[in-house]
Amino acid sequence: MLNSYAILFFSQNRVLAVLLLLVSFMNPSAGLTGLLCTCAAIALVRLMGYHRDSIQTGLYSFNSLLLGIGFGTFYSFNSAFWLWLFAACLLTITLTVVLTAWLGKYGLPVLSLPFISAFWLVLVASNGYPGMGLMQKESYLLVELNTGPQTTAIINFIKEIDQVCFGRYPDLFFRAVSSIFFQNSVIAGILMSIGLFIHSRIGFSLLVLGFVVACVFNAITGTYPEGISHYHLGANFMMVSFAMGGFFLIPSGRSYLWAIVSVPVTFMLVNALSRFLGVHNLPIFSLPFCLLTIALLYFFILRINPGKLQLTPIQHYSPEVNLYQFLNGRERLKDLQYLRLNLPFIGAWTVSQGYEGGITHKNEWGQALDFVIKDEDGNTYKSTGTRPEHFYCFNKPVLACADGVIEDVVDHIEDNEIGQVNTEKNWGNTVVIRHAGGLFSKVSHLKQHSVKVRVGEQIKQGDLLGLCGNSGRSHEPHLHFQAQLTPYIGSKTLAYPFAYFVSGTEWKQQLHSFETPVEGMEISPVDMNAQLKQAFSWQPGYAAKLTADNGRTETVEVFTDAYNQLYLYSKESGATLYFVNNGTCFYFTAFYGDESSLLYQFYLAAYKVVFSADSGITATDIYPLQTKKFQPGIWLHDVIAAFYQFIRRTYSSSSSYQHQQLTIHAKGYTQILNRKKETMSADINIAEGALRSFNINLNGTKTAVTWQTEHLF
Amino acid sequence: MKKLKYERPLIKKMNAGLMNKFGTRTEFQPVKAIDGVPVTQLISEYGSPLFVLSERQMRKNYRSAARSFKTRYPKVQFAWSYKTNYLNAVCQIFHQEGSWAEVVSGFEYRKALGNGVAGEHIIFNGPDKHRDELILAIENDSLIHIDHFDELYNLIELCDELNKKPRVAIRINMDTGVYPLWDRFGFNYENGQAWNALSKIVGSGRMRLTGLHCHIGTFMLSTNAYAVAAGKLCELAYRCKTLLSTPIQYLDLGGGFPSTNTLKGAYLPGVDTVPSVDDFAEAITTTILNFGFKQDELPLLILESGRVLIDDAGYLLGSVIANKRLSDGRRATVMNFGVNILFTSFWYEHKISPAQDFDQYTEDMVLYGPLCMNIDVVRESINLPLLNPGDHVVVHKVGAYNMTQWMQFISMRPSVVLIDEQQNIHEIRQAEKLEYMEQLEQMPAHLQQYKLA
Repeated sequence: MLNSYAILFFSQNRVLAVLLLLVSFMNPSAGLTGLLCTCAAIALVRLMGYHRDSIQTGLYSFNSLLLGIGFGTFYSFNSAFWLWLFAACLLTITLTVVLTAWLGKYGLPVLSLPFISAFWLVLVASNGYPGMGLMQKESYLLVELNTGPQTTAIINFIKEIDQVCFGRYPDLFFRAVSSIFFQNSVIAGILMSIGLFIHSRIGFSLLVLGFVVACVFNAITGTYPEGISHYHLGANFMMVSFAMGGFFLIPSGRSYLWAIVSVPVTFMLVNALSRFLGVHNLPIFSLPFCLLTIALLYFFILRINPGKLQLTPIQHYSPEVNLYQFLNGRERLKDLQYLRLNLPFIGAWTVSQGYEGGITHKNEWGQALDFVIKDEDGNTYKSTGTRPEHFYCFNKPVLACADGVIEDVVDHIEDNEIGQVNTEKNWGNTVVIRHAGGLFSKVSHLKQHSVKVRVGEQIKQGDLLGLCGNSGRSHEPHLHFQAQLTPYIGSKTLAYPFAYFVSGTEWKQQLHSFETPVEGMEISPVDMNAQLKQAFSWQPGYAAKLTADNGRTETVEVFTDAYNQLYLYSKESGATLYFVNNGTCFYFTAFYGDESSLLYQFYLAAYKVVFSADSGITATDIYPLQTKKFQPGIWLHDVIAAFYQFIRRTYSSSSSYQHQQLTIHAKGYTQILNRKKETMSADINIAEGALRSFNINLNGTKTAVTWQTEHLF
Repeated sequence: MKKLKYERPLIKKMNAGLMNKFGTRTEFQPVKAIDGVPVTQLISEYGSPLFVLSERQMRKNYRSAARSFKTRYPKVQFAWSYKTNYLNAVCQIFHQEGSWAEVVSGFEYRKALGNGVAGEHIIFNGPDKHRDELILAIENDSLIHIDHFDELYNLIELCDELNKKPRVAIRINMDTGVYPLWDRFGFNYENGQAWNALSKIVGSGRMRLTGLHCHIGTFMLSTNAYAVAAGKLCELAYRCKTLLSTPIQYLDLGGGFPSTNTLKGAYLPGVDTVPSVDDFAEAITTTILNFGFKQDELPLLILESGRVLIDDAGYLLGSVIANKRLSDGRRATVMNFGVNILFTSFWYEHKISPAQDFDQYTEDMVLYGPLCMNIDVVRESINLPLLNPGDHVVVHKVGAYNMTQWMQFISMRPSVVLIDEQQNIHEIRQAEKLEYMEQLEQMPAHLQQYKLA
């Protein structure tokens, strides 16, 4: 129910919702009818069996809330009032459901359109037919307070502090905010502003921006000589700015620019619509905001190449969370962008020619890689190096980089003598694989008659394709690898990263994820640890009981959602933790819910685990910034986050083995500008291929949790 | 003009052969320096005879062998065979390179621990493991390779007492088509003994069966034998998974890769006939990869190579004591090193180079050691330039087994030096002294006095 209030400002924040509920009762009759209509709407859509999640977010009920408040503000109570309120409420709900579905097809929101249309209908009807019995009253709270019979101490008190003046423009701003609830009160505006600020710094700053731009614009053009009035006008500018700058678009410099640009358009709409509707004596309410937002949103959705101005992909109902999740996701979730390609060989190979290598990797064929094996002296061969067999890479296995179907095979071309090249059949013996999603990969210069696969064969990642050779335009044995979008031998290349590989020597190894190796880099596949992999291979139905040393227990279970994403759900706390296990590493993508839960601690501790038992390999990652707790530093950061981020929260983990037990050592850091501070350290213990326990030290608070797997069968 | 070097007169039988305008040539080149350090300097500083080890060559050998396997198979682990050379400095070099430790006695086991090898990285082989050593290995979570049923039963009892589940493997012997068949170690594959042992281990529920081990022989000259061995281990591993529901985590193919020394009685020199590590790697990895394991169930491949990694990194420097002529007219040269410190001369025809310049004349001769024992023959017949007393020689490829099997017999053992990659010399084992030798001796009171009549 509270969400119906919060969603007016595109939020699900409880504090904001409670404040809004409070503010709505500053006009008691309006507050009452608003609450009644909301409850009625929720009850009805529940009874009728609409989508539960949408009901939960308040999507179907906030228009009824507006209608209720509007009704209570404009009309006096009498028997006809309740009848027509009921009718109008029903109409609003119907319109909401219908319009939501209709606009939803285009990915557009319904905003307050149902309320506007329903209320117009009521206004038009009651103006024409006095027999309906609706008694219009003055709409301003202050007026009512002065004349109303129920003057009490509290209302007097409110009236008293409402006289407080912060100067012309701040007052105007607060009154404009309060006008969304058909009020004209500084104190209501202040309360709503506080709620909005707690909900979102970005959102609040956008409201201010919209307001300032509107005032400046008005001052320059002099559209309204008496200044912008608080009622219907200010709110429209501010809401457009909020919706475009921070909600439907990922907050960024560009989205702020659009927020500014939309102000003059809103001016035009406000004026034009006022004239149109003036004919029928109808107020424009938030119509300009609705029209412009929907139009702009559709305008953005229709782009084919979105570039840097991104629409919010997953709505978290908070500009901050949207922004941080987006930034974090763009940095981390390469799994969703790329097919996971593994290195096409075993052991440590060196890139002898990288992208745009200049020798043969040029122009349209520039995004290819050549690999050789080098010894510690940097030679690619032993003995004299005069025969292909002397070269380390010759005759070594070449593997499939990913699952697919063999598209083309050439296997008959002779291997060259060292120093000779075959420019006629320059690719030599080659295998082309068709992968999922229209991607092709190609390995070339294989040894004659070494190819083990046939055209049309289904292969798995890591299957043997053939042996490295010296055929084609190859003066010494090497392996050529490229990704391409067309199935031909000789297709132009496509820049495409390898999912995971390790670079460096055995003493100083570095893990790379979704990178393309550069020339001279010695790289090898990640050495996987089966036990570690098994410990994090959780299928839906996997359940575990978490018991902390402070007595808290939680039962978690793995589920899948409609998009096939796996998540852990804590039955006691309701917390939800989305994870990905891609076979090479395990990581979390999002956490929702109670941050005091054990699941949240686990989220921090096991944020990313690479299935390598090699203690030299460290997995590093970045947490999204959390905004829920009160941290003035982060709030300051929020205000400018759309332009510049100066706080980073990073994570690293590595594993070690001792006494039949694997331990993952994890550390979390907070980095402000260049100052780095350790904020979290954790150990996760694994034995016999199963998670056993974890200890976490979070800002000095230590918790030890045992992890008991329940019987799966 | 510099005084010419004296050379003893030489009488040589005429050999009727094709004329050669260059005269008779020898393949010999004097070896005056090892890794850039002059032999004379080494001998003057550390005496003669002297063992010299090259750190550079050891690391090179290791990396080359590791590369051969690791570019063919995704999971490879080397374990340094302690018995090949357990001087701590040597072990540390291989541990630094990433080797685990392979030990065959409690003494070696404790040495490995002392070298800082983590318990779980020690492979405990051998037929003679004492109770206290087994307890130590269990407590340290080492890999215990069971050699016989009595050990298996002992282990089961021990596990009961300690209430621990150690990680174990069994050693398997099998027919790989080579002679001699090593069937004295471990359990036989063909007669079902190995399967019997595996079933007992799993059935006992006291141990974790983690691996299978074989060591088919030493100085193996056939790569095919390894392919056969790998195939049989894979087959057993598959049966363990399917019939005993116990996936095997590693296959240990043991060691036995030959160095390029020439075995006694071999027709051609070792350098030309011995297969390279690459050849063995190809045989082993191809067999395992083609066996049909699932990719993420491929077992770890462990290799316990010793000899091939260190033999050619070791040199023995020695000097000529005397020249002799034997009764049958053959020339004999007495060296200051014999079978007491060059144990491998029982097996190999070691290559021996003079350490100083010489002219083109060579002579067939017998090389004797300094011992007062008839068996002390270093080379029964070798063609060398004419050597004078005090001249130095370099014996090649002596890094394996000599510094562990050498005998303190008649004379004391010399020092061992290591030349590091920056050509610095480090004495890693001092020459033995009389006090050291007598340290452990005790004299009963009644024997302390004597009076010669």
